[in-house]
Amino acid sequence: MNGPTRTLCVWCPDWPVVTARRARPELVGVPVAVVDRVDGRVVVCAASREAREETVVPGLRRREAEARCPTLVVVDADPAADMRAFEAVARAIEAVTPRVVLERPGVCTFPTRGPSRYFGGDVALTALVLRTVRTAGVIGARVGIADGPFAARLAARAADPDGARVVEPESTPAFLAPWSVRALIPADTEPDSDVVALADLLGRLGVKTLGAFAALPAPAVLARFGSHGARLHRLASGFDEHSTPPAPPPPDLVESAELDPPATRVDEAAFAAKTLADRLLGRLAGLGLSCSQVVVEAETEHGERLTRCWRHEGALTPAALVDRVRWQLEGWLAGSECEPEDAFTTAGLTLVRLVPEEVAPADGRQLGFWGGDAAARDRADRVLARLQGLLGHDAVVTAVPCGGRTPAERVRWVPWGDARDDRALLDALEWPGTVPGPSPARVYSPAIAAELLDGDGVPVGVSGRGEATAAPARLVCAALPDGGGPVQAWAGPWLHDVRWWDRVTRRRRALWHVVVGDPDTTACLVGLEGGRATVEAIYD
Amino acid sequence: MTSAPARLLPRRDLEARTALSDTARRHRPVSAAHERVIPVPGPLGELLPNAAMTRGAVVGVEGIPGAGASSVALTLAAAVTEVGEWAAAVDLGGSLGGRAAAEAGVALDRFAVVRPPPGGRFPLDRWAAVVATLLDGMSLVIAELPRSVRGADARRLVARAREREVILVPFGPARTWGADTTLRVRATGGEWPGLETGSGVLGERTIRVEVDGRGAAARTRAGALVLAS
Repeated sequence: MNGPTRTLCVWCPDWPVVTARRARPELVGVPVAVVDRVDGRVVVCAASREAREETVVPGLRRREAEARCPTLVVVDADPAADMRAFEAVARAIEAVTPRVVLERPGVCTFPTRGPSRYFGGDVALTALVLRTVRTAGVIGARVGIADGPFAARLAARAADPDGARVVEPESTPAFLAPWSVRALIPADTEPDSDVVALADLLGRLGVKTLGAFAALPAPAVLARFGSHGARLHRLASGFDEHSTPPAPPPPDLVESAELDPPATRVDEAAFAAKTLADRLLGRLAGLGLSCSQVVVEAETEHGERLTRCWRHEGALTPAALVDRVRWQLEGWLAGSECEPEDAFTTAGLTLVRLVPEEVAPADGRQLGFWGGDAAARDRADRVLARLQGLLGHDAVVTAVPCGGRTPAERVRWVPWGDARDDRALLDALEWPGTVPGPSPARVYSPAIAAELLDGDGVPVGVSGRGEATAAPARLVCAALPDGGGPVQAWAGPWLHDVRWWDRVTRRRRALWHVVVGDPDTTACLVGLEGGRATVEAIYD
Repeated sequence: MTSAPARLLPRRDLEARTALSDTARRHRPVSAAHERVIPVPGPLGELLPNAAMTRGAVVGVEGIPGAGASSVALTLAAAVTEVGEWAAAVDLGGSLGGRAAAEAGVALDRFAVVRPPPGGRFPLDRWAAVVATLLDGMSLVIAELPRSVRGADARRLVARAREREVILVPFGPARTWGADTTLRVRATGGEWPGLETGSGVLGERTIRVEVDGRGAAARTRAGALVLAS
């Protein structure tokens, strides 16, 4: 298998807090939490060190965070400001290597093969990068070098503040092994719910570390967790996240838009970029490809050319791509509005171009073929599973038709999620003695005690030959409206003598169809077994 | 069906014509103004405004045992599963007939039933929570009403159904439900013409149904559903 590219990762922890403090110096030294709106809830997306000491962690709701730390200063997230600030850092790193890839504001990576040889080894390179970043005004950045961006990010997390961690070549799997499986969830960013679900599931299954996960056989992981799980398994094993090396994409996939008049405001450029992003991902999807790395290029009226490469764990979704393009354009444009001296552009944008850089076969999602709303099925399954947790596994059921004679026998109730095991063949067979007519909408099991009386008020019986002793004239049962009433019409009795060869399970009973009541009539199925009458079903 | 030329047609042609018009009604495009609706085919649909249920509506179904209310509710569930969506029923007594659901046209693999576990009882104190949970993931929920429903619970469920655009079918007396309904379908009884004293067969049945409600359904419509086996 192809080894992953040796990569350096620069991680500035809690980047939103850093930018917030840069804008408001009075926040330095006090607990700060940056909050954002996620699914209609206001949650903490980044917290300063002081706040974390008070157990304020990303993912908490705002109110809970304030309860844990009463002196907490809450700041609204501003991705545009984050990006604007990080753009300066990215520019500084570009002095070291031209191939800087942004993952999100606060994290960037680049392949080290060239720079490392030029600057005299990995350790010397990390020292240079740290110095560069500190000169750009960032304190507390961490640098990691390992095989592949994922391991490099973890190496950066393992480094000290203002320090570096270099994982020797070939020893990446050993470095990854002791990490918890929750390390698969990217830190301080909006996590992908699939990754979180898988990490939780692995924890519950007793696979606690990346090493234990990597030790599972790859085909078994693919069979159990799908292509998504297989991708994470490759990451945990220290391989490249793509099973096949990403191919250089066909050149005609480049999407560009000329802006006329030139866009000087972010929303104008972002609107054009949204159309581009949708078109690009639409065309890639048509080719069965997904894109994990994309270059955003822009040109200004004055002939300045700006390019920046963005990467995303897994595949870029349209929303994620639009977000990144928008951040980037804000980084370039917004600087020129407020602080002209460190602006990146001196004029409006005339061209925006999206170039997919890394494409791989899209294998993540398979929609259903017929009526293919997989999302609706997922939602229904989730809700029913939650109810099964609440009420018990066999409290949520689905009906499966099966062979039989009486209404209660002709259906099996299978707990939701178990195999339906449709025995259509058995169902299609003729069952001699099946109760005729439509199926009753109310079937009582066990049946409800009743009294079937003849004209003189004597219970109706059945002879050994299956003949009724008298015509039924009155049916009394608690389940019927008004407790029963005069019999209007009836048919039967039909004798059911089943399993006569087995002394234990043998049942011998007679069944009637009875229409009862005056003037409102109710049709029901009445059984007589061992001298006791019951109402087995009501045709509601 | 009762027009003069139709009566002159041979029976086979009549059936073919009915099937054809049924198919046409089922597949006709729904107008844009009523995009968020689920069409209800068959004679029950003829009694409903625009032959459809609006998503997020509350469609109450009531009737004494034997009057046909369960069949009406299952017909509504069938309309939802027919368009490929999910339906569920809360069955407090555990007596809903699975076969009857299939015969009403419900796709059973998209129809879940919440019922008391074998030998147990339904936890009535969790009834509102169960219905609210079902409203999160289904397109139609038949909720059999317990003896009493708190007004606040009912109003919350109505609001939730409207927000999630789920059709809620409170199944039981209107008095018990106590919150608004968009439509109310009342089964008032019926006949079993096939059965006589000691002979005949329980086959064709008619269910008399009254529909009233708000807005387009303010005028009470009554009709008979003829269900042939």
